[in-house]
This record gives sequence, C-alpha cells and structure tokens, in this order.
Amino acid sequence: MLNKYYLGIDIGSLTTKVVLVDDTGAVAARAADRSGYSGRRVAERLVEEILKEKGLDKKDISATVATGYGRVTFPADREISEITCQARGIAHLFPAARTVIDIGGQDSKVIKLLPGGKVADFAMNDKCAAGTGRFLEVMAGALEVRVEDLDDLAAQSGESCPISSICTVFAESEVISHIAAGRQKADIVAGVCASVAARVASLASRTGLEPEVVFTGGVARNKGVVNALAEHLRCRLLVPEEPEVTAALGAALLAGNIKV
Amino acid sequence: MAENRKYLPLASTRRLEKLMTRYYFLTRYHRFWGKPLRRPLAWVTSGAPVELLRAFRIHPVYPENYGAICGTRRVSAQLCQVAEAAGYSQDLCSYARSHIGSILRPELAPMGGLPKPDLLVACNNICGTVLKWYEALARIFRVPLLVLDTPFLPGELTESAKSYVLEQLKHMADFLAHFTGRRLDRRELERHMALSKETVNLWKEIRGFCRAKPSPLNAPDLFIHMAPIVVLRGTPQAVHYYRLLRNEVNSRVQQGQGAVPGEKIRLVWDNIAIWYRIFGFFQMFSERGACFVTDTYSGGWVMELTEGDPLESLAATYTEIFLNRSPEFRARQMIELIKDYNADGFVMHSNRSCKPYSLVQEVIRRRVMQETGVPGLVVEADMADQRVFAEEPVRNRVQAFLETLSDI
Ligand code: SF4
Repeated sequence: MLNKYYLGIDIGSLTTKVVLVDDTGAVAARAADRSGYSGRRVAERLVEEILKEKGLDKKDISATVATGYGRVTFPADREISEITCQARGIAHLFPAARTVIDIGGQDSKVIKLLPGGKVADFAMNDKCAAGTGRFLEVMAGALEVRVEDLDDLAAQSGESCPISSICTVFAESEVISHIAAGRQKADIVAGVCASVAARVASLASRTGLEPEVVFTGGVARNKGVVNALAEHLRCRLLVPEEPEVTAALGAALLAGNIKV
Repeated sequence: MAENRKYLPLASTRRLEKLMTRYYFLTRYHRFWGKPLRRPLAWVTSGAPVELLRAFRIHPVYPENYGAICGTRRVSAQLCQVAEAAGYSQDLCSYARSHIGSILRPELAPMGGLPKPDLLVACNNICGTVLKWYEALARIFRVPLLVLDTPFLPGELTESAKSYVLEQLKHMADFLAHFTGRRLDRRELERHMALSKETVNLWKEIRGFCRAKPSPLNAPDLFIHMAPIVVLRGTPQAVHYYRLLRNEVNSRVQQGQGAVPGEKIRLVWDNIAIWYRIFGFFQMFSERGACFVTDTYSGGWVMELTEGDPLESLAATYTEIFLNRSPEFRARQMIELIKDYNADGFVMHSNRSCKPYSLVQEVIRRRVMQETGVPGLVVEADMADQRVFAEEPVRNRVQAFLETLSDI
C-alpha cells in the first residue's frame, strides 16, 4: 500500500515555505526560499525539488493547501488563511499551546487557541511595518549588518538605546542619529529588538496571553527579539525548531484533514 | 463609479433614488424658492434636533450625508487632499475634509457642492469634531452658527443634563423666531415630531424583520436605505417611503427570502459603512454565506421621541444618542443585538475618521466576546477616505475570521 502525501504551501511576503507530510502528519520534506517577484514560481520550484528529493511524483500528492499572502495565486485544492494554518500547525507541534505569537515579514499576529487548534481570537498589526520582519530588515540595513547577525549583536549589548518611534521610517532615522551620536552598534540593535517586542506585546494585550506561548515566524530565530519579548511579557516562550515553516505545516495538515 | 451589488436587490431602491434625487434637486435650486417662500437653508449635523428647524420651515441639508455620497462616488480622497492642501489635518474626519474640499473646489465635487447655507446648526451629541468643523464653516460663510451642547452621559440622563439642554433649545427657538420672522408654532412642531416618530417606528420595524432566518436584509441595504431617515426625518415623504420599504421587507420574510443566498453565518456590524466599497467589502462575507443582519450605525436612528412637552422630549432624545454614551452602554447594546438577532459573531470597523465611535471598540469587543462567547473582528479602514483602505490585509483578516466561524 502506497503512502499518501499532503502538501502545504505558504507564500509569504518575504519567503515562501513548502512542507510535505505523510498521512500520519509526520513531516516528510520541507523547503524555503525568498518569495522574490513571483512567490508562485518559487513555490512551484520548491515543490519540484522536494518531490525529486523524495523520489515522488505529482500524483502522489493527495491534496494541497495554499496559505500566506500569495495563496490565491497558487493552484491549490484550497486556500486557507495563515491564521487558521498557523493555529493547526502549532497545535500539532505543541498540543498545550494556547497562544501563538507570529512575526512574519510584513505582519505580526497573536492567535489565541482552543484545545485542538481551533482559533478563539486573533489580532494583527495595523497596516504598518512596525513590529515585523520588515522593520528588522530596514534597521539592519541602516546599521549595515546582516539580519542574521542582529542576534549575536543584541547579546553583546550593555545598555540598549531606546527607539521611541513606531513608524519604520522615523525609527530608521532614529537609528541613524544614534549611529551619528557614536552609540555602540550592539546597543542600538538591542533597542531595535526591544521596540519590536514592545509593539508585539501591545498586540498580545488585545487577545490576552495564556500559556503555553509559542513564538513563530522567521523573527523567532532572532534571540534578541525572543529575549526582549519574553522579558516584556514576563512569560516563557516556546520556539519551534523551524519557526518559519509552521504555517506551511498547518496547511499540509489541513490538506490531509489530519486532526490534532 | 459606484459598485454594483451581487445579491438580491430591493425593488424599493428605485423609489429611494427618486426620493433622494428630488431632495437634492430641491436643495440645489433652493436659491429660486428659498427667499420667496421665506425658507432659509441650514447646514446641520446628523444629530441636530431637526424637528425644531422644520417647525420654523427651515430647509435642512446634511454635510455628513453629502460626505457619504462623496465616499460612495469615490471622490473623497481627492476632496480630502484639497482640504489637506489648505492646511486641514489628515487626522480630521473625512466627512469634514470632503465637505471642506467641496467648498474649496466645487468643480471636483458631486453636484458641484452643496448650496451655500443661511444658517449652521451643530450638535455635539455625535462628536466634538463637528464644533470645529462648523466653526470653520461659519468663518468661511459668515453666517450664524447655533451650537447645541449635549453633555456626555457616563450613565443615565440626569435631570440637570436634561434641563441644561432644554434651556439651550429654548434659546435656539427664540433665535430661530427672530431669524426666520416666524413664531414657534407648537402645533407645527408637534406635527413634525409625530412624523419623526412614525418614521423611527417604521425603521425600527423594518430592522426588526431581520431577526428572521434567513435575514431579508444585509448591512449594505440598511446603509443605503437609511438615507431618508437622516435627511427627511420629520416629513411625510419619509413616512411614505418607509411604509413602502416595510411592505417589501415584510413580504420577503413571508416568503422566506434571504438577502444572502444560503445564509450560514449571521453577523452584527459596528461603525459607519465603508462607503467606497459598500458592496465589494460585504461581498467578501456574502460569498461565504455570511450576512450582516443588523448594525449599530443605521440603528442609531432608532431614537424614540418620548411623549410630553415637545422641547423636553427633544432634549432627552438628542442627548441620549448612543455615541454620547458610555462604553458600558454600547457594550450592552451590542450584546443585546447579538442575542436578539441570533448572531454568530460581530465585525467592528475601526474607522480612522470617527474617533468617538472607534476609540473604545477594543474595550467593547472584549466585553462582548466575554459575555456572549461569539467572536469579534476588528477591521481598520475609513468610511470615506479610500487611501486608508488596504485590501489584502483586510481580506486576510476577514477570511481568517470566517474560517473560525465555519469549522475548517
Ligand atoms: S467624527 Fe464621526 S461622528 Fe463626527 S462627523 Fe465625523 S463621522 Fe460623524
């Protein structure tokens, strides 16, 4: 008897993620890349690569669910919002999770979960880049460091520089004036991380925060933000091993109707 | 251009269009009949005690309704820019900006702008914005401005608040007598109040029909068909129109006809309509079987005039308008609507323009969710300024919200 496979595709504003699960919900393969100009094409290429790697064919995939900003562009069986997908993915990985904080490229959100992974409530950032991955990218650009390095830099900070502006453009000029004033890079980075944390914490106050709290999205790899957020919220944050693919995982689980 | 609807149309809409066209036609050519008939034209806020003005045979014109027209025709953004270029802040209500823009550049405005006022009447029961807006208008046109100050009600209406407003109404009546050269005719006032009352009762009855499953009306219907209760309240035309609408809606209910085919989800709407997307926005819901069966906005005009002394009754009614009341009152109102209309959830439009309506929504949302157990969504937009509307994020939230309601 052949295994059945399900595909979850998350076309985000910055990166596209693809996850393949088998009918038990176990991850068989995953891949990710920058969305670039056409997230759909990137997704198609990633799917091909995954299939090749596993020695599978397109017809081995029983169902596909697309999510993320580019979800409608991909010819999937169904498109489901990333909130529902994220909730399902996290409930699968952390059955005790009741709150998900997700910071992606263009938005940040807080999802309140019911047991079983159903969404009880959610809040998303206002139409603004504050408290998102994009915000970190812009600040990294101003500081001339790589986003990946923000992590280590924040750890070296002695005293973080406060960034008071919420607006990304104004915050960038604040960063520049800190640089001009000769402040340590590490301290500015710590300030940037704290600013993201503060923004997301205020979002969390709308839905309320119930443990366990799971932190997902690409930004969850940044320990500077993780620590700043944990401190701000005064609670423990669980971070999945691969925090950026959890919505794609949820999409794959939903494709297979695999319940938690 | 305005959008088309994608669900069951109402036959009454034709009559509505005729009625509103006639009103705006008369308004536009007021200069030909106003003077000879000694009927001045007043620009008034939506919460002004219009029955008193009508008793003095004043022709009321509503810049807020005009702002909604600008929004529906998608010219608000341009008119707002005109006002912004003249120095008005982007944070100012977009009705005010659209209207001021239409005064500065009438050639860009629907119907070439509104005809100049002889008088301005502002009541702050809806917001504080109207005071500054109307002060600006008074400076531009150099005409008298009457302000009715209704104290905010943290609880119930007190005797002192009521008599404070009553005193002002008496002064207002004296001024209007002087201004129009007519005496206050109590019988005329009572006649207009009776017409108002009848209009309000019909509107209440029509809205009540939406308790039926499926609901005969969806929110855009309510938003469109509320126009006469705003601008023609206290006239026989309004009564006549709502009788017609009542009969049509009633017959929908009798036939089990729903506004949204295959109604699956029933929702309550909070805040002013998103005029420039009046159908498109709600289509995101109706295509998934979700119908907005009632709302707090068009329901704001279900303000019942009490019996007794007409001026006292006006004082109470216009002070008790929901926007002039506490978050507790508004949460309670929402909870009752949800129970009464058997709703599965609610959607709040966080309207950048309208601060008194929007600022307390998060508090209300939490309380309502706690008490009813149904989910509530907040969508950020603006009623008229479409530059504030971000399609994708809105669509994303709406979809996620409907997924939580439909057991994916
Ligand atoms: S602020 Fe709100 S209540 Fe005041 S005029 Fe504008 S829309 Fe109306």
